[in-house]
Amino acid sequence: MTRLLITEITRMGPAFCVIGLQHEKESIQSIRPVPASANSWLHFPHRRGDILECALAPFPAAKPHIEDRTATRGFQKATSVAEGETVSYLRKAEMANSLPDLFGCAVHENKKGAGLHVMPLEAKRSICGCETQNLRLELYANELRATLALPSGEVLRDLPVVDRDWRDFVDAALSSARGANRTARLERFFNSRFHYKIMSCPHHFIRLGLTRPFQDFCWLMLDTLFPLPKPEWLEEF
Amino acid sequence: MAPSSISQNDEQHRRLLEDCFRLEAGASAVIPGDDADLIETGVLDSMAWVSFLRAIETASGVADLGVHLNGQAASFAVLLAVLRDSISAAGSAERSEVTRHFATALAPAVVAASAAAVGARVIVAEEVDRAFGMPVGKLRGRAGIASLAYAAEGENELVLGARAAEEALRAGSCGVQQIDWIVATSETHHNYPPLSAQLHSRLLARENCAALDVGGACLGLLNALAVAQSLIGSGQAKNILVVTADVHSRTLTPGRVAGEFGGLFGDGASAFLLCSANGNDASGGYLLGEFIFGCAGQYAAAIQVSDSMDGSLNVQFDGEALSRAAITRMEKVLAAVELRSGIPRASVGSFATHQPNPRLVALLAKQCGVPKSAFPPVARVSGNLGSSTCGAALHESLRNAAKHAPGDRRPIFLASLGPGLLFGGGWLTPRV
Repeated sequence: MTRLLITEITRMGPAFCVIGLQHEKESIQSIRPVPASANSWLHFPHRRGDILECALAPFPAAKPHIEDRTATRGFQKATSVAEGETVSYLRKAEMANSLPDLFGCAVHENKKGAGLHVMPLEAKRSICGCETQNLRLELYANELRATLALPSGEVLRDLPVVDRDWRDFVDAALSSARGANRTARLERFFNSRFHYKIMSCPHHFIRLGLTRPFQDFCWLMLDTLFPLPKPEWLEEF
Repeated sequence: MAPSSISQNDEQHRRLLEDCFRLEAGASAVIPGDDADLIETGVLDSMAWVSFLRAIETASGVADLGVHLNGQAASFAVLLAVLRDSISAAGSAERSEVTRHFATALAPAVVAASAAAVGARVIVAEEVDRAFGMPVGKLRGRAGIASLAYAAEGENELVLGARAAEEALRAGSCGVQQIDWIVATSETHHNYPPLSAQLHSRLLARENCAALDVGGACLGLLNALAVAQSLIGSGQAKNILVVTADVHSRTLTPGRVAGEFGGLFGDGASAFLLCSANGNDASGGYLLGEFIFGCAGQYAAAIQVSDSMDGSLNVQFDGEALSRAAITRMEKVLAAVELRSGIPRASVGSFATHQPNPRLVALLAKQCGVPKSAFPPVARVSGNLGSSTCGAALHESLRNAAKHAPGDRRPIFLASLGPGLLFGGGWLTPRV
């Protein structure tokens, strides 16, 4: 049995993609458990910070998703750790400070409009953690997007935010039960309190991931943003 | 605004939307119905939708389009309405329209004359290879540079800049006392008094002629032209001298920087006389169109230069990443200029762009599908001249255009880059 510390739960259309950390000898590495017949889970009742026991079988995953493992049995929750501790483990896993180090290859900009991508066969991995100098979220034409500055000073724009908790938070913020001017209120939150809450948090950390190859490219996404949003923040705007 | 103007704007917006849509969905893509939701119908996914909107923002000049689309359908009808509202914002459609086309509607700026100067010492590329301790033939073979223009003894930014400025004034039959502003830019002049003040004194400009330095390194010329255009557009000035001057050969020296970086640069200057077209009925010259500017921070680490405590120069130069960035971004800028101006690239007479090195110029021409000969060969004979590369290329473009009858002159596209990665583009059209 493998023990996985769940660090990523991302929204992929109607399903979820999950990544966890595995302690192997001296190193900590990311593992993406996938069902036998798909790349994502239609139902995933666990949370980040949960330590799950599962049976995983390696299979020849297509580059760059080398972290994929087939889950041959269901997940059993063993225990869980706090958010700060989860981040401390993430900082010991795959890390980069600059754009070319993220996935071990050149990152290209979309020549047509927005977004960044890598060539699937060039990338050495599909997930990587990093610190940020600055980070901004925005609701752009109904899509949640992130812009961030890496420690190297390189800026990444228009990254789709697929973090399940942050997407749920935005959905909750825009719920019709919350009254009028919901979008404007959410924008105000992102432009003011959000920044303080995120950047002043000692365990502020992000993980960037790559989509499955789509029309020859793997696109960069913001998979995880720590700290995770708290329900009580909804009361603040 | 008159109804006919509204309908004309709608037509322009529709053309722009369709061009951007085809850019995203493919040249053969069927244009969807106005009310079709592009995401719900699966015509575009969320990545492509945002990408499509960013392309519209660049092409239209309407900033932060997405904010106006929150809570709305992802349809052409909504986009057209948002574009229309953006143009007629602040309650007064007519006033806003004037504001948007401020420079061109109020007081268009004309490039009436130009000049360029390069360092008097012409050094063949192989000699530079040797000086930097590189294999002989590297600069010519890898970068396509045949020779470099270096400042001779007694030449510096002021001397080269003043030479170009005086020549431009002569070509424009304009006395220096008619100049209201001198706008200077240089990526190598870091002394005091600033270059604009030194030029002011050297040229003997009027005391109430203002002098201003603008930055941007290799993008400096476009920044300076945009500033000058705004000053003319707002009625602050009638005649402006824009001057670039860069002397790299005294800073990027062997032993201080690697040859793969320092060996690319030469020394030069350029100058442009900009005049208000208002009250000036004379034909000739080129009208400045709009400018597009921005900063692509994902390339910030590709080139960084800073002083260190011991007086040496810290140069971070990832040539491969920078080349890739330069090509991608200039291609993107030229595409945006094409969309915004409505001038097809095939009908452009000349591309006055930054030229990091000749090999990249050839690659850019190929990527853009335009002939290499449409790029004046500045870097091949003089090296990368910093802010003066684009200036020398623009001067050469204007000089070539002047050989044709006024009615046969074609538009000129501008595109340049600076560390950061700053980028900018624009266009000029012949004034007939």
